[in-house]
Amino acid sequence: MPDEETLEEGILNPVKPEIQDPLLQSLLADAPMVERPIVPEPAPLEIPLPAETVDCIVIGTGAGGAPLLARLAMAGLKVVALEAGPWHDPKKDFATDEKAQEFLFWNDERLSAGHDPVAFGKNNSGTGVGGSTLHYTAYTPRPQPEDLHLHRDFGVGQDWPFGYEELEPYFEELEQFLGISGPTPYPWGPARRKGYPLAPLPLNGAAQLMQRGCEALGIRTSPAANAALSARYYQEGVGWREACTNRGFCQAGCSTGAKASMDVTFLPLAAAYGADIRPGCYVTEIERDDTGKITGVIYQQNGVEQRLRCRHLFLCAGAVETPRLLLLNELALSSGHVGRNFMAHPGVQVFGTFAEEVRPFKGIPGSLISQDTFRPKDADFAGGYLLQSIGIMPVTFAGQVARGRKLWGEPLRQYMQQYNHIAGINILGDCLPHADNFLELAEEKDARGLPKPRLHFTNHENEIRMNAHAEKLMRQIWEAAGATDIWAFPRSAHVIGTARMGLSGDDAVVDANGKAFDVPNLYICDNSVFPSALSVNPALTIMALALRTADKFLENQK
Amino acid sequence: MASSAYPAGTVRALLATDLVTEATRTALQARLDAPDYEPQFFDAATYELLRMVAARLFPQPDRDSPIELAPAIDQRLLTGGSDGWRYDVLPPDREAYRLGLGGIRESARVIFGAPFEELTGLQQDAVLQAVQNETAPGPLWDTLSANRFFEELLAELTENYYAHPLAQEEIGYVGMADVPGWSKITLNQKEDREPAVNE
Repeated sequence: MPDEETLEEGILNPVKPEIQDPLLQSLLADAPMVERPIVPEPAPLEIPLPAETVDCIVIGTGAGGAPLLARLAMAGLKVVALEAGPWHDPKKDFATDEKAQEFLFWNDERLSAGHDPVAFGKNNSGTGVGGSTLHYTAYTPRPQPEDLHLHRDFGVGQDWPFGYEELEPYFEELEQFLGISGPTPYPWGPARRKGYPLAPLPLNGAAQLMQRGCEALGIRTSPAANAALSARYYQEGVGWREACTNRGFCQAGCSTGAKASMDVTFLPLAAAYGADIRPGCYVTEIERDDTGKITGVIYQQNGVEQRLRCRHLFLCAGAVETPRLLLLNELALSSGHVGRNFMAHPGVQVFGTFAEEVRPFKGIPGSLISQDTFRPKDADFAGGYLLQSIGIMPVTFAGQVARGRKLWGEPLRQYMQQYNHIAGINILGDCLPHADNFLELAEEKDARGLPKPRLHFTNHENEIRMNAHAEKLMRQIWEAAGATDIWAFPRSAHVIGTARMGLSGDDAVVDANGKAFDVPNLYICDNSVFPSALSVNPALTIMALALRTADKFLENQK
Repeated sequence: MASSAYPAGTVRALLATDLVTEATRTALQARLDAPDYEPQFFDAATYELLRMVAARLFPQPDRDSPIELAPAIDQRLLTGGSDGWRYDVLPPDREAYRLGLGGIRESARVIFGAPFEELTGLQQDAVLQAVQNETAPGPLWDTLSANRFFEELLAELTENYYAHPLAQEEIGYVGMADVPGWSKITLNQKEDREPAVNE
């Protein structure tokens, strides 16, 4: 947290990285340093004031930042996107190897606290031009209309400040633009004006098995909607994108461009309309004038501090880095809700071993879906969840076996030998906000000298009951499909909340249009503004919100 | 003992073909060709202890020379690399490893009255099991969550192991040979380039 003095200056003093590592501390203390002559610190270089002020700065180029950036650029605004990570060339740089692909994750350390600490890194966060979409599974179900009204229907959680009809046109636009593959008609939810532009991707082994188990239990299933092309597709601003080759490596980066990550869709479109996308730019500071209006940002690019002035700032850094930046800069804090309402999707996975060969590395990982569990009749909880078959990459799966089954030694190697015969199902379910689930700045500093984020997460009654309901059902599905050695891996998936939108600045950080209640030219657009967690993967809804936020902003500028 | 699902040499042969991209080949070949490693972060004795612990968590009597799992940990700690998160109950990784390996040393002495290095394999397993169960004796465990440390150590070793091409061969994984894509993806299907499994 910046102290009073630095706040008045509007600039954080450059902080020397503090050594957190006690071992290194003790080593340094034990080894007397060679006496060095004291050289006066050179005066910090003044960061030059750029000559121009851009219309908009967008921090982050993921599902929140990229569609918004394209929209603003297409409206003729001068826009700059600042992305912390590098710009990759997927065809050249993306190996079919999980370890080699670790650079796609946001690997700055986050501290996970609470009874059910959430895993970050590869689990749910990304870096690089394209953000987390570089390694999302490309599962793009729409939320159901009722998802937005959990409080209205159950008296818990928070309703969205607008209804489904506000997002629906954007879902349709996105599905057509990205070339989403999926079933038409879609078996759940309201009838749609347009079907998916492409047929579903082929079902893989895990999907076939889940289909078999669900059929036996009378649960409806359908091929999932995926933002990966089942056929060649022409895309405005981009050109032809080739069909998915069933590599199964969506979560470690698509090397063929078939998956609709932002770097092969909205970002080229934005660039074609003049957006300036700057990789390797880590924003440390947001500057304001006397009236509280944001005047620009300071960021580090290749170790050099830069200043960029703007008329409007769009913060799209995700549900951890967005509130972290707000807290670091003491910005938009008047509601007291920054960092609060942290939610993580219940995401229990159930694995089984089958006589058949599954070869779970092939095909889109999320191949089959059921939303029959959206509002289960026998539910003892609020909200609901979806079921999806899962494909698994070997290293990630092995790590889960070690953590979840606690196997080691010969039993671990024996179990892993069945890799080609293992299939999984998992859920994504709604999560309620709780007072003790929140993000705060830790005392411990990162390599830049900035406080690390600490996230507290504990599953409460509703999440515990939902996970239990889902685990029981998935075990039944696998039993019906003929599985043996069934086991569950408890986990939390996507991170949501922390800067929620609402009708009033008393209990929300931004209004229904994504505009901060207490900063005149600040907008937030990513999963942090979700008032509730929804019962589906968030990517499509984040993108829809991004387009809506851009349109509302542009309307108000007229 | 586990025997390899695919015939020896399967992955090496695939790596020599254009079924594998250059980026993939570079990553996997580097692991196959890893030179002997001298620890740079751990002192020699602690590194040897880590190697012995790794040998119990991943016993490899079936290999002439085991897949080395400790070098990647030494390198990561040396460079301060992270996987993006850590349990808040654990201290920073370097400290956690120092305390955790010290704890294993201490527990071995308390339970068996001898250094971990001199115990039989079964005795070493008993020490490690006690750490995982959070019943390991020794004052160091008062300052470190034993089961969380064990979980982190095991997960890191496991991911190092299964990232190795020979371990992937062992479980019948040839996902690296994906240049033509996969068209036979349903149950019991395999492409011509996927070898028959050793039964």
